[in-house]
Amino acid sequence: MESLRLVLSIFSALFIGWNILYIISLKNTRLSFLEKLFVSYGLGFGFISLEMFIFHFFSLKFSLFSIMVWWIPLIAAVLLVASKRRKSHRPGGKGAVTKKTPLSVLERFLICGISFEVIYAFFRALIKPIEAYDAIATYAIRSKIFYLAGSLPHDFFYNLSLLFPHPDYPLNIPLSETFVYLFLGGLNDQLAKVIFPIYFVAILGILYYAVKRLSGRAGALLFTFILATIPQFNHFATNAYHDVPFAYYCFTGTLFLLYWFKEPGSRGYLYISAVMTALAGWTKNEGFVYCVANIILLSVFLFLNRRTIKKRGLLNGFLYVGIMLLVLAPWLWVKFTANLVNSDVGSTSLEQLNIFKQSYKIWPIFYEFQRQIFGPKKWNLIWIIFILSAIVYRKKLFDESRRYATISLILIVSGYIFAYLIGRDDIWHMVGTTWSRMAMHFLPLAVYWLALLFGKFEPDI
Amino acid sequence: MKYKTLKLIFAIWVILWISFLMREMFAKGGLRVYSALLNRSLDDKRSYVTGDNFYEFLVFCNDKLPEGAVYGWTKIDKADHAKRRSTYYLYPHLEEEDADFLLVFNEPFSAGPGYELFAKLDDARYILKKKKKGN
Repeated sequence: MESLRLVLSIFSALFIGWNILYIISLKNTRLSFLEKLFVSYGLGFGFISLEMFIFHFFSLKFSLFSIMVWWIPLIAAVLLVASKRRKSHRPGGKGAVTKKTPLSVLERFLICGISFEVIYAFFRALIKPIEAYDAIATYAIRSKIFYLAGSLPHDFFYNLSLLFPHPDYPLNIPLSETFVYLFLGGLNDQLAKVIFPIYFVAILGILYYAVKRLSGRAGALLFTFILATIPQFNHFATNAYHDVPFAYYCFTGTLFLLYWFKEPGSRGYLYISAVMTALAGWTKNEGFVYCVANIILLSVFLFLNRRTIKKRGLLNGFLYVGIMLLVLAPWLWVKFTANLVNSDVGSTSLEQLNIFKQSYKIWPIFYEFQRQIFGPKKWNLIWIIFILSAIVYRKKLFDESRRYATISLILIVSGYIFAYLIGRDDIWHMVGTTWSRMAMHFLPLAVYWLALLFGKFEPDI
Repeated sequence: MKYKTLKLIFAIWVILWISFLMREMFAKGGLRVYSALLNRSLDDKRSYVTGDNFYEFLVFCNDKLPEGAVYGWTKIDKADHAKRRSTYYLYPHLEEEDADFLLVFNEPFSAGPGYELFAKLDDARYILKKKKKGN
């Protein structure tokens, strides 16, 4: 019975996300059914948790009815639009049927490898309750508070939150866990962990379809296998840390922006990117690095294509920022009114913002970077491949099909370095304890960038 | 040349992948942990990951502490993982400095000045309560 309730909770999030995606991707996006499903998952939980957060402003209590009922107008609107579209759609002849080639030996192996990692991730997540350090100290305690109170307590940000580490952390995942608890009817922190391996599957699925557009099925399976088998990445899909869900939002936000760059007529991609990047800011504070990075990336694109894009381009730019601010507005409001300050990078003095005065931190930062890459315990072969590929294919890095992905990675890493420079904590401790997790946030994008670099892949196995 | 290089990298990747999996399951005791957890109830699993001794004490504290009571620890470090877990499992009881109740874990029994025994699980795990002024 509990398993059925768990499945219902996931299905509800998926269903709501699907309806949201339908509305925001009306403008000519070409997504397969599974792609839509993977995007719907993150949208669903992101907006449900946002809705639960907004309840706080109106002192509303959580219940399955009170959460789900507000989505009825959206679902009704979607049904109406969908039925009108169906009526106006002219039945045509059958489209060309693409012949499916049989799976090669390599493809079968890759599918087995990916399937194994997915099943193993679910197993490792669901065999234990939440117990990892940050997972229990920072996140799970909040979801427990919200579930027991049946709401976000009125004085949560002024009293209760200050008793636990990192009161300034966004609440996407804790509220998502609370949503699952509501369906389960109890605090089963073992079953609630299921949301994490599903985020893992969703990233793999989105990466697969992204690479398939570039290099076909074999290449897509290869790069998906690479991402799935990175030990730290698949481990973090099981321990209830927020880094994998966060990586999902960061990757989807940037990827759909890159899609829009290729197809500026498909504005649905732009809207999905704006929403997903904003939800990254709703998942972890580092999301603001991605918000800024994507805005800069969009600005670079609009500038380089100003002759073809013209006025509409500027409007799209404003729309992008506007959507982000709209999604983040409730959280930003509380952050500022309750003065929720990050303990590592908060209330910085002007002196700390002078990055030239902080330049003594550069050597520790780069020392720790290389230690995280080349240190044998981390198995960061992927970053060694990344660096070598950048050197070997240096002439291709900024060509038309790859430049924006390259610029995006440069902006993201620069953003993290900037945050380390202005941080208040001891630099060796700060970078040493966080960089390997920070790198996971843009790992899917880095793997996608590798796929862009290598191009079409036709194995002979 | 490109495909030969890619094949070599892929072969190394697969070898490393399998070796890391085997290391996790066997050398690091993953299989042992999974088989220990597989048939346990949720509460037993919590006990296993927290430490049976410590979890038993936390359950005892939850049972004995009055509603709304605040507590302190005698000798558990602020950043200790055990402390973090206790915060989670003891909620809605909250930790406070100079609390009315002191939780004592793995220390020989001693009431200490200003405190008296409130509840005892055993000689090394007990709860002290602040004496009322005048006692």
